[in-house]
Amino acid sequence: MQSALKPGAAQRLANSLSQRKWRDAGIAYLFILPFLLLYILFTFLPILQGFWISLHKWDVIGSNVRFIGLRNYQILLQDKLFWSSLEHTAFFALLAGPGLIVVGLALALLLNRPIRGIGIYRTLFYMPNILSVTVVGLVFARVFAPADRGLVNVVLDSAGGQPHSWLLDVALAMPTIAVTKIWWSAGFNMLIFLAGLQDIPQELYEAGRVDGANRWVLFRHITLPGLRRPMLFVLVLQVIASVQVFPLIEVLTQGGPAGSTRPLVMYLFERTFEYWQMGYGSALAFVLFAFLFVISIAQIWFFNRREED
Amino acid sequence: MAARTVSVDAQRPPQRVRARRQGLFVQAGLIVLAALWLIPVVWTLSISFRPENSIQANLSLMLPLPFTLENYEFVFSSSRLLRWFVNSLFVAVVRTILQMALCSLAAYAFARMRFPGRRFLFPFVLIGLMVPGQATFIPVYLLFSNLRLLNTFAALILPGVASSFAVFLLVQFFRNIPIELEEAALLDGASRLAVYLRIFLPLSTPVLTTLAIFTFLGTWNEFLWPLVAATDPDIMTITIGLRNLTATVDRIEFGQTMAAAWAAGLPIVFFFLIFQRRIISGIQLSSGIN
Repeated sequence: MQSALKPGAAQRLANSLSQRKWRDAGIAYLFILPFLLLYILFTFLPILQGFWISLHKWDVIGSNVRFIGLRNYQILLQDKLFWSSLEHTAFFALLAGPGLIVVGLALALLLNRPIRGIGIYRTLFYMPNILSVTVVGLVFARVFAPADRGLVNVVLDSAGGQPHSWLLDVALAMPTIAVTKIWWSAGFNMLIFLAGLQDIPQELYEAGRVDGANRWVLFRHITLPGLRRPMLFVLVLQVIASVQVFPLIEVLTQGGPAGSTRPLVMYLFERTFEYWQMGYGSALAFVLFAFLFVISIAQIWFFNRREED
Repeated sequence: MAARTVSVDAQRPPQRVRARRQGLFVQAGLIVLAALWLIPVVWTLSISFRPENSIQANLSLMLPLPFTLENYEFVFSSSRLLRWFVNSLFVAVVRTILQMALCSLAAYAFARMRFPGRRFLFPFVLIGLMVPGQATFIPVYLLFSNLRLLNTFAALILPGVASSFAVFLLVQFFRNIPIELEEAALLDGASRLAVYLRIFLPLSTPVLTTLAIFTFLGTWNEFLWPLVAATDPDIMTITIGLRNLTATVDRIEFGQTMAAAWAAGLPIVFFFLIFQRRIISGIQLSSGIN
């Protein structure tokens, strides 16, 4: 074939091929450009800028901007409010996390069988997820309202119990927020676990039953190991969401009573937009980013390793 | 063998009876849980349709009796709820359309075209998967503030458009579209744009729809960014407006608060009921399990 072409023609063909290649590359850049511009402007540069700002004393009021190196990070290590906001974030994660997994798994196990009205149940348990945090906040501020103004207290009262000031009580506020979070989000975990349950081969259960295993043994040795991947997925998402917790607490307690439920992101928000300390706020934001970055890397590493096995 | 089977049957009730008993147990458990999930909704929804004096007299009533629409009338006439609703709709729709267009175009180039720098640019875009909004919103705020563009729709819409996740998902999807379709069209002289518009977009309608639904919902419910980007009540989205309404107006009654909450919440519930199949399968797909 090659010898049938004249040398000049082969050269021309090669030229037009490479021309076409270059034109294609140009078109590809055009396709990517609009996305890339917005990506660089609103995601990539802000990360670098955020770090740069965190190296400054950057007060909007009085436009006081001065380079101070890592000073903000030093201050942060001594800042009691920073450490307490970390504690509150961890406390929230420890209260809501296990609850979300247990309730999500329980709902999935109950629904993983042919029952009448299963679609309605699934819709009902998932539905709170799509409500905005403000709607959930307004509803549960009333469900847990103090004295005789909230539903829970009215029900408790009629059952002969003591009323509580749920969201205004230092000991009860965070658990009450966690309960609200479970109502709001357990349905999401339920969907993930349902998908996982449907992936476990039925033959395993039949084989187990033939061997005389009871329901607990089947659950412990077939269901739980079979749910390894969804469990991990849910766990990672939940850790990430917990580190970022803020809107739900903002609408339920505004961080109160006496700052006892103020999480990291709320503290960062207050420093930045109430005290207008952009430098210190950015240092807090960068710490948050570092946390999440490590979690993401660990997650990617773990999932890749699992796939190589 | 036969004798053993008989003795087991004698000890335990037959399989079918056990299954039915277990089924009843499950049903009872589900009904209790369903009630726990429903009661906050039914209670507050009923309250929103009751006059204030009746609410005070019998707080825990789960029925909208006596029925009234005055709370809704008050909320719509005395606040900018309707305006915020339209703002949210506009912001969410425009951001969704822009995101679908820009991300799918970029994804096509990443998935199917060769160009110098691709091996560097794609991982560069994926860095965005690990960047939370809280890590970038201060510089983005300063940017809009310097451009004097706070309290504009541009500020509310633009920062969420370039989604690394959308590009990542669409690249995965586009890579699985058979190359023969594309090659045949290119040999026939079709341009790259035509291939993208007439082959790739139509073939990826399902994944694009799912993505669009989630972007829409995410934008509608977004909290942190609109909280700082739009403080002008004329530009606010409903999620923030609703919070301010109840946080700043002290003389808003219980029934009116709940009317405002459900006026904002019910449209999204209907949106969910219409698209629930796609939403549920989208979530289950995202976990990569099925």
